[in-house]
Amino acid sequence: MLTAVADDSEQLPASAGRRVVVTGLGVISSVGVGVAEFLSGLRAGRSGAKPITGFPTDGYDHAIACEVVDFDPARWMAHLDPAELGRASQFSVAAAGMALEDAGLTAPDLLGRHGLISIGTTNGETRELDRLVEQEVTGGPERMDPAIARRVNAGRLSAAVARELGLTDVEAVTIPTACAAGNYAIGNAFDAIRAGEAAFAVCGGADALCRKTIAGFYRLGAMAPDRCQPFDKNRQGMLAGEGAGVMLLEDLASARARGARIYAEIIGFALNCDADHPVAPNQDSVARCMELALHNAGVKPDQVDFISAHGTATRANDVVEARAIRQVFGPAPPRTVSVKSMLGHALGAASALAAIGCALAITEGFIPPTINHVETDPECEIDCVPNTAIEASPRIVQNNALAFGGNNAVLILSKFEEHA
Amino acid sequence: MTGTIEARKEQVRDVVCEILEIEPDEVTEDSLFREDHGADSMAVVEVVAWLEKAFNVKIDNAELVRMVNLAGVYAVVTEAAGWESAS
Repeated sequence: MLTAVADDSEQLPASAGRRVVVTGLGVISSVGVGVAEFLSGLRAGRSGAKPITGFPTDGYDHAIACEVVDFDPARWMAHLDPAELGRASQFSVAAAGMALEDAGLTAPDLLGRHGLISIGTTNGETRELDRLVEQEVTGGPERMDPAIARRVNAGRLSAAVARELGLTDVEAVTIPTACAAGNYAIGNAFDAIRAGEAAFAVCGGADALCRKTIAGFYRLGAMAPDRCQPFDKNRQGMLAGEGAGVMLLEDLASARARGARIYAEIIGFALNCDADHPVAPNQDSVARCMELALHNAGVKPDQVDFISAHGTATRANDVVEARAIRQVFGPAPPRTVSVKSMLGHALGAASALAAIGCALAITEGFIPPTINHVETDPECEIDCVPNTAIEASPRIVQNNALAFGGNNAVLILSKFEEHA
Repeated sequence: MTGTIEARKEQVRDVVCEILEIEPDEVTEDSLFREDHGADSMAVVEVVAWLEKAFNVKIDNAELVRMVNLAGVYAVVTEAAGWESAS
């Protein structure tokens, strides 16, 4: 239960600060590496689900996940040695480099401007931790490799981006708010640029599939055997995913000055934490977070053209999230889709990838589908755009992210218009 | 044989109480972990993990709904292990 809520008047409307625009995108996902591949995957409703290849999965009845299989880290590193980085840092660095390139920028263009590197994650370098644990179990603590131990610190996700790009006048933060971390990291960047504290931001989320994730969610009974079916009556749970989504954000004046292509504008953000339950989302608190984000953006619920849901496809999430949406949007809420049906749950990367999906939907004029859909759960009562993307001209889009511990973060994106 | 079953039951009860943080002298076979003892339902997942290791059995996640009290836990593990259920 929420016992105390902030007064709306304490929230600064976004219009009070600088306008923040998205000018570059970097994507590493199970449906493709790079913006073009990702976009075609979302449009086509492609699934990233396949048998896990990254580590042994003996003993599981099913071990399907949305793994990234066609990733060459060396392509994105001119200065760092990929072998010195864990998989999540490799993802972060590559997606950041991609976002910069996509924005038509090179690292030297950013020198002399104060910036922010803000990367969200659930597990950090837990793939490395898996290896240390394996070494300890098989050979004792003295067999743990110090070189691997050095790669474990989650702070390296953002620090590695700064090192590769040679950026010294930046704040580099890694935000570990679990499955909402991508939105947190983008929201953090949005706030900093809006307030004039940073001229640009490299922000998003990254996570690498690891044995801890598979074992933990499998044991919780939250893992589906073969496919992810958000909002479906017969959904069987989530599929684990991995990847990274990174955005280059800058203030409108700088984007204009260099004639940058603008994908979308970020117009609002809110987060809250109810600490109500370790794993179950709290409906009132989720609803409250959406209301705060809409207020922050200065938009009314009926202006939202579609919602990119957290939509994990667990029994608990989908019902609570759908009810919270109806609580805020009334009996006829906007279309509500889950890109996790295609990408699995990429944890800290999930809401960053979804936010990139929102920006692309606005730019390219479509609404991505919720795939693997057979029959909508009557308890969910939303139009999830089943199986096939639809052509549309979304102007305002809401991106939800809900994490364990009641950490909620909601981002509002808008089509860029000169006079907002 | 009855002795063995009683010993196993006692072992199961002790571990369940430890994991769920329930006082052993307050629990009965039928008292409900969550409603009567305020236990965290998620911790039952840990009970399943322990049972699987301790008795070398496999317990389907669907059985979690039956494991609301000691009687339910005994029944699930007895079936999974193929123990004689008469006691």
